[in-house]
Amino acid sequence: MNRIENFVRNTFKDIPKQNRDEIIDGVIEQLLEKVEDLIDSGITENVAIDQTLIEFGSLEDYFLKEQKKEKKAKRLKTIKHYRNDLMFSSVSATIIIGALIFINLMYAPDVIWFVIPALAVLFWPLAVLYNLLNKRESRRDSDE
Amino acid sequence: MVNSDVIRGHLESVILKLIIEQDRYGYEIASCIKKRTDNKFIIKEATLYSIVSRLEKKELIESYVGEKTHGKKRRYYKITSLGRAYYYEKKQEWLELKEILNTLLEA
Repeated sequence: MNRIENFVRNTFKDIPKQNRDEIIDGVIEQLLEKVEDLIDSGITENVAIDQTLIEFGSLEDYFLKEQKKEKKAKRLKTIKHYRNDLMFSSVSATIIIGALIFINLMYAPDVIWFVIPALAVLFWPLAVLYNLLNKRESRRDSDE
Repeated sequence: MVNSDVIRGHLESVILKLIIEQDRYGYEIASCIKKRTDNKFIIKEATLYSIVSRLEKKELIESYVGEKTHGKKRRYYKITSLGRAYYYEKKQEWLELKEILNTLLEA
């Protein structure tokens, strides 16, 4: 009977914590009932457990309906995150470039060197922007 | 086995119907579906239990621990009045849908 328990715990190990134990206990109970019934029908315990495990299906079968909704929520969340990232990186890049200009003009006004590190720093918000646009595009595609 | 996408949308009603007939426990529902469809549709236990626990959460069915033969414990499910109403609504929906598809596909 331990095999059933291990199987169920393993199958559901990655789902959100809040109702995981409840689901696991429920499913174990149901599967044990099935094993008992199968044994009553005249097969050995091992065969009954094998059959039960094979016929159970997968995590996808369990979360058929909820899955789609959750995926969408997750995606919207990441887009929001990317927007925050973009804001943060732009502000930080501006501050860094400002400091570079200040140092440059303070200590070596004859050589304009700040352009080079400024370019490097600029790639930070640019990369985030690129990610955000990509994300938006893929969202539009999958909505169609 | 038939492509089960259409059936899947109506599994809630199927399970409610089986529970309305009499109180049943989980595996009994699964084997009943298998037997009645002559092995053409087999519900995966994973799907069944997720639907049953959803129905229970929505208070369409209730569960209690009862005894099968020789004192073996089984968690039985029982229909509530809310569940009954929900089932008849769903059944009406299905009859309409069947009507529509009949006219479109068979006429």
